[in-house]
Amino acid sequence: MDPMAAIRETFFQECEEQLAELEAGLILMESGTAEAETVNAVFRAVHSIKGGAGIFALDALVRFAHVFETALDQVRSGTLAAGAAVLNLLLRAADVLADLVRAARENGTVDEARTAALVVEFTQISNLGHEPPLTPKPAPKALAPAPAWLISFTPASALYAKANETALLLRELRRLGPIEVALDATHLPELSELDPEGAYLTWNITLEADCTEQAIRNVFEFVEDDCQLNITCATPAEPALKPGDVITGDNGFSFEFFPPPVFDDEEASAAPKAEPEHHEPPPALTAKQNPVEAMAAKAESAAAVSATIRVDLDRVDRMIDLVGELVINEAMLSQRVLEAGIARASGVAMALEELEHLTREIQDSVMAIRAQPVRSVFQRMPRLVREVAAQTGKQARLVTEGEGTEVDKTVIERIADPLTHMIRNAIDHGLESPEKRLAAGKPAEGIVRLSALHRSGRIVLEVADDGAGINRARVKEKALENGLIAPDAALTDDEIDNLIFLPGFSTASTVSDISGRGVGMDVVRQSVVALGGRISISSRPGLGSTFTLSLPLTLAVLDGMVVSARGHTLIIPLGAIVETLKPKAADVFPLDGEINVIRLRGGYVPMVDVAASLGYCDEFVEPDQSVALLVEGEGGVRAVLLVDAIHGQRQVVIKSLEANYRAVPGIAAATVMGDGRVALILDVDAVVKTTRSELSRPELSLAEAR
Amino acid sequence: MENIQPGAATLALPPILDLTAAAALLEEFLTQRGQPLRVNAGDVQRLGGQCLQVLLAARAAWAADEQALHLDDCSEEFLAALDLLGVASKKLTYCKEMSS
Amino acid sequence: MSTTVLTVDDSRAMRDMLRHSLLAAGFRVLQAEDGLHGLEVLETERPDVIVTDINMPRMDGFGFIEAVRRDESRRSMPVLVLTTEVDAEKKNRARAAGATGWIVKPFDPIKLVEAIRRVAA
Repeated sequence: MDPMAAIRETFFQECEEQLAELEAGLILMESGTAEAETVNAVFRAVHSIKGGAGIFALDALVRFAHVFETALDQVRSGTLAAGAAVLNLLLRAADVLADLVRAARENGTVDEARTAALVVEFTQISNLGHEPPLTPKPAPKALAPAPAWLISFTPASALYAKANETALLLRELRRLGPIEVALDATHLPELSELDPEGAYLTWNITLEADCTEQAIRNVFEFVEDDCQLNITCATPAEPALKPGDVITGDNGFSFEFFPPPVFDDEEASAAPKAEPEHHEPPPALTAKQNPVEAMAAKAESAAAVSATIRVDLDRVDRMIDLVGELVINEAMLSQRVLEAGIARASGVAMALEELEHLTREIQDSVMAIRAQPVRSVFQRMPRLVREVAAQTGKQARLVTEGEGTEVDKTVIERIADPLTHMIRNAIDHGLESPEKRLAAGKPAEGIVRLSALHRSGRIVLEVADDGAGINRARVKEKALENGLIAPDAALTDDEIDNLIFLPGFSTASTVSDISGRGVGMDVVRQSVVALGGRISISSRPGLGSTFTLSLPLTLAVLDGMVVSARGHTLIIPLGAIVETLKPKAADVFPLDGEINVIRLRGGYVPMVDVAASLGYCDEFVEPDQSVALLVEGEGGVRAVLLVDAIHGQRQVVIKSLEANYRAVPGIAAATVMGDGRVALILDVDAVVKTTRSELSRPELSLAEAR
Repeated sequence: MENIQPGAATLALPPILDLTAAAALLEEFLTQRGQPLRVNAGDVQRLGGQCLQVLLAARAAWAADEQALHLDDCSEEFLAALDLLGVASKKLTYCKEMSS
Repeated sequence: MSTTVLTVDDSRAMRDMLRHSLLAAGFRVLQAEDGLHGLEVLETERPDVIVTDINMPRMDGFGFIEAVRRDESRRSMPVLVLTTEVDAEKKNRARAAGATGWIVKPFDPIKLVEAIRRVAA
């Protein structure tokens, strides 16, 4: 990638961070829980986006960010009170800003009418100037070239005090053409009266150059207000620039000369401090009455920032890979030591145990580096809620919990889509219209609660609404209509609720724009399953529904059961295993095809010979000669897997087969065992599914969820 | 240089003669005032307007006191800076016998 | 020895941009993420020119320039302000703090380099 493209990419990444911060800050302000730094942070976010956009000449973005920033600056300084209406506008502006950023990133387009309408709203609330500051100003008229310029230059002491320097200015002037310098020291006082940091000299310079007066003034652009400068030429020049004038380049680049410095010494002590930002507000103001003013009132106490470093993700990934290798090597070493018959209490074995312990700790620490709070994903949801609510005419408020819950980056990148769907669904299908809610004795505004927590080594995400709950009669009817269940199927409430995950299922009579065209909960479920996760729904009539999504904390390691099947070592993910059992021949019944079912606590569960299903052999193992594992796939689909033996459970490092070899049906990934051999990790769902697809018994139809 | 004795007072100018050096430079000249002085400019890398003021005022003071003030061993940078600022190096020295 | 420039800006994109332009111009480049970080860098480094942003977390550009000027040895160190701020009051504050020059973004890398050359001894 060329450097500019890389910088541009960095800019857009930063924009995303700024946008998240912006929205989070605005929401804090809206809820009245913002702190002093929040308004500053919000302002900075927009300001940074504007600044960066300027570099890349993203004019539309710059213009809008400027209007937005100006309003925020007024809020920050207290001249604009951030009431509910203003915050609503600011939040919508944040959404538009996000759109503009994304449009700029992808060279896409935005709804210009919406942008323009917001700009108008901003001007109405705050009487902002319409004029964006960065539109190119007409360049000053160039003067006719002149052969000789006479320049009289008398610096003031303030010029030196700001680290400007006469010698450097003369050096610059000489770059325009040959100069002749005459020093006038007539105002130099006697040595004993000299202020060493005063300024007493005047330089009269003759410059021979075919340049414009502007070119000469540019040399003095930083100091013109800290000196007396006269420029004359043989042909009469146009009126000279006055202090405070702006020199502008053709791309909007501009320098403004500082106003005269004399005020510094004389007026600073005499005049009262006139900095509105620092005035003390009445202490009686509570944050509740006017959070923003109260915030602005607090001193600019910058929140302590914990020291962080940015590290290229590739480096972390590489480290995780290496630590994976370390874990494997350590396991191999243990195995060798065991094989060598060294006593458990020996020094070697004890040192090895120590090493094993350390290795685990290193692995955990390294995984923690890549772990990220789900906040980044949660932060995108308030906007979604606002939009979906607006589109469906419902009132909804998002409440989030557990934003700090950490999960591996590989997982975090992939939870946004399912969450988006679940939230859309919760508002679109879960919440009732305000009228219906009021009629049911509920507040008009519905609540969507998004929460994250760790539970037994997995992350559990919940999306709960306080809507009407699932209309089970309707769901069942629909499922029957679509032939998804048999007419005589006896389903529990929970089973009915979970019917919505079946392919193509949709209770809405028209496919709404909101919940996505044709993208139903089955697709969501599929993507979750692909991550080794599970999703379910529970519902209480009149009280609402809760989607529960559980995912592994990482896609890099896995707790698995080591089994063998016809001499092949396999790993079965522990999360899928319900229990292990010893099958009795009397409990096994053959079905049509090559499927056996086993009687289990009054029900029948299909059996899968793992080795056979993977094509290791053609003959089936005798059920009573094998060990059986009852596994549960997605949607509660159960099957019994038959293997030769169980060798215990262990954590394994996942190696992608696709990356190292190619995708293999029935196999999710691979790992390297302690003895150095490669073991395959079973894709339980795939194995269960292939077998089950041959079945057509009504009570098993739920199994066909995929 | 015959009017300054070999053992006369000397002042070595620091390499950087900018804003931050002016006050100390002035102090040096005020301390040495009233006697012939050899100023060594061999180390000077940079000369700013304010130190130039001190040098010019010192030269005027030494002339008023009728004491010799000499510049020794001027660095190239020093001479270039003087040239840029429109000052001939001899304007910074004073000899009692103006003919010398 | 090449001119050393310290850039102080909280935007990584901006820092990268500055770094890219300034390295191309043959400068040595030091970077800081905000005013406090800038002061830390100054404890061990002596850049020829500082280019700073105004709006930054922890310590903004005004505080940074004031802190730089408070140190006797850094009073003659040129500090250029590079900002999107166009507000006159902000400019006066920067000026009062001791800023050598004020450059309004969007910045033109060539002009920035010129400005740095102009104020660097």
